[in-house]
Amino acid sequence: MSELPWGVHGKILEVDLGSGRIGQSPLDPDLVADYIGGRGLGARLLYDCIDPTCDALSPDNVIVIAAAPLIGTNAPTAGRGHMVFKSALSGGIGSSNCGGTWAPAFKSAGFDALVIRGKAASPVLIDIRPERTEILPAGLLWGKDVHQTTEALQAGEADRRTRVLCIGPAGENRVRFAAVMNDRNRAYGRGGPGAVWGSKNLKAIRVSGQKKIQVKDKEKFQSGLDQSFYLLKQAPATKRLLRDLGTAGLVELINLINMLPHRNFLDNLHRDDDVERVSGETLAKKLLQRAAGCYLCPIGCQRHTRVGDKKGEGPEYETMVMIGPDCDIYDLEAITQVNYLCNELGMDTISFGGTLACAMELFERGILQAKDTDGLDLRFGRSDLLDEFARRIAFRQGIGDRLAEGSYRLAESCGHPEFSMTIKKQEVPAYDPRASFTQALGYMTSPTGACHLKGGYAVSLAFFGGTKEIPRFSLLQSPIGIRNMHNLGIIQDSLGVCRFTGYAFSYDPWARMMSGLTGLDFSTARLEEIANRIAAVERLFNLAAGLTEADDTLPARFSREPILVAGEERLVSKEAILRMKTDYYRARGWDERGNPAPATLASLGIGKRKSP
Amino acid sequence: MTKVKIKFFGPFRDLFGGRGIDVELPEGARLRVLLRRLCDTPDRVQQVFAGAEALQPHVVIMKNGTPIHGPDGLETPLQDGDIIAIFPFLGGG
Repeated sequence: MSELPWGVHGKILEVDLGSGRIGQSPLDPDLVADYIGGRGLGARLLYDCIDPTCDALSPDNVIVIAAAPLIGTNAPTAGRGHMVFKSALSGGIGSSNCGGTWAPAFKSAGFDALVIRGKAASPVLIDIRPERTEILPAGLLWGKDVHQTTEALQAGEADRRTRVLCIGPAGENRVRFAAVMNDRNRAYGRGGPGAVWGSKNLKAIRVSGQKKIQVKDKEKFQSGLDQSFYLLKQAPATKRLLRDLGTAGLVELINLINMLPHRNFLDNLHRDDDVERVSGETLAKKLLQRAAGCYLCPIGCQRHTRVGDKKGEGPEYETMVMIGPDCDIYDLEAITQVNYLCNELGMDTISFGGTLACAMELFERGILQAKDTDGLDLRFGRSDLLDEFARRIAFRQGIGDRLAEGSYRLAESCGHPEFSMTIKKQEVPAYDPRASFTQALGYMTSPTGACHLKGGYAVSLAFFGGTKEIPRFSLLQSPIGIRNMHNLGIIQDSLGVCRFTGYAFSYDPWARMMSGLTGLDFSTARLEEIANRIAAVERLFNLAAGLTEADDTLPARFSREPILVAGEERLVSKEAILRMKTDYYRARGWDERGNPAPATLASLGIGKRKSP
Repeated sequence: MTKVKIKFFGPFRDLFGGRGIDVELPEGARLRVLLRRLCDTPDRVQQVFAGAEALQPHVVIMKNGTPIHGPDGLETPLQDGDIIAIFPFLGGG
């Protein structure tokens, strides 16, 4: 083993909920050099310790929560944690990232990662303190929502700066798209991490600590830091626009480029007046109390809002559109209120909206009927039923029990999987892929299923990319463009930093900060290599879990039913799908079936899986 | 006469005092002429233009849903019925 780099503690906390055993294992320094932290470290640790064919909701699943070397420094936005697990939706890798303050608290407790195995006999919480870590009974917390749980666990802890990560009723009831929440309203949202926690009887993880990390080369680190702040101040999106309008500021723009989903992605046709009702501008005018940022974040895209006398956070763009126009709903207050409720229940708003939209289409087609939906009229546009459905799903009541399985399993149980807009059984987010082949490819090749974060954010590439711009219907340029975007996202997720820094810069400042912090070579070339390595390990996990290149595809609607984009009819043909993904595989050094080639694995130094 | 519809978004609503306006231009007018007509105060000029020939980096202009790019973009000819959107550069999740 090499020497431990600076910036990490060299310790992994290991908790076995079944036996109750708590231990520590050393962090292999080579893993830091090869996988960094966060998403990369989590992927490698998970790949080495579980059987990828296990049931995601069985005691055999493992949860890895990883901090990153930059967390604990004052690098901008460096406070994001990453959770890696077998996804309750896709069965492939689950990989969820989240802002807030839990991850910095965990890093200050003296650990680089937490590995949670097995299942507790009854509800528990993991309590991580400087002096010791314990598994404590949480029976009295079980049934409490996310806010109540957080408040209960932080009571009397103010001087310790304790932070809480927890699930709500949705996770307890193993809703397949249940989230894990920190700071009350920040979500590890996609892939159902909350359900995995619930299946282990894990209610919360409370943490406090005081250990600091040191920077090895302060001058080099500072030069990267100065560069990052300068660039963040220059870029319009990060300087002001995200603070002024939040991500919901995108609603009008996405509609203008004909990419705004409507009625379960049936079409992209909206009335201008309706779109305005759910725009960032209207949100700012009517409900916004203040903007705020996550840990060490100068960007400030958080929306602290208020509906009547109820306060909360959000809605973000995705929430606004997936629960809004995708369900043919344009009621800002109703969307905001159910967003608050989803935060309290601990549920992913993208999959909630997508599942509801699917159910609405099934109902309008007569495939689901009133006798199936507890007598409720579940047509599109039912904003008055939003809160009701959020609760029924979280508590698996009546039709909620079927919706809790996600739209794919719901539609399949009706004999009509084609009405579920999902890839790898995860709901497509709020950008219609027929309006951008680049985004279509990004969704298809995301390792976690349809995702605008793991899948690459193609809107920026098409319209604001500058010299990196890629025309949105370019079959030729999309594969390399998306691979590059994937790689940047992989590195950001492994560094513990925010996607939005990508509007100001790509690798350079991080390369300087990481090299200065750790004393290791983290040049931009090295970062690219690490990204390719992590992408290959995620792919290997998925292949071992039984996913194939056939799963890298789009729902049939996007290949059969065109929409009008800038005056032209567009769909993503089967030929376009095949061509783009084959080129993507080639760009990654994978074969035409999407298997990482032996030569690629050798050059990336990826050894065999360590697990039994 | 060429009649075009202008839509403003984000901070441009405050800058131009509304959500949108209709503008009449001479036949064959180009985007540059339209923008010069709209930016009739020093403040508006400064927020939209970076020098005589280029736009500020955060200004995104779309014609009928398609972005207009580059220095040549200002030469884009306008047709009767075009919808021009003036947007701040943004992105999100």
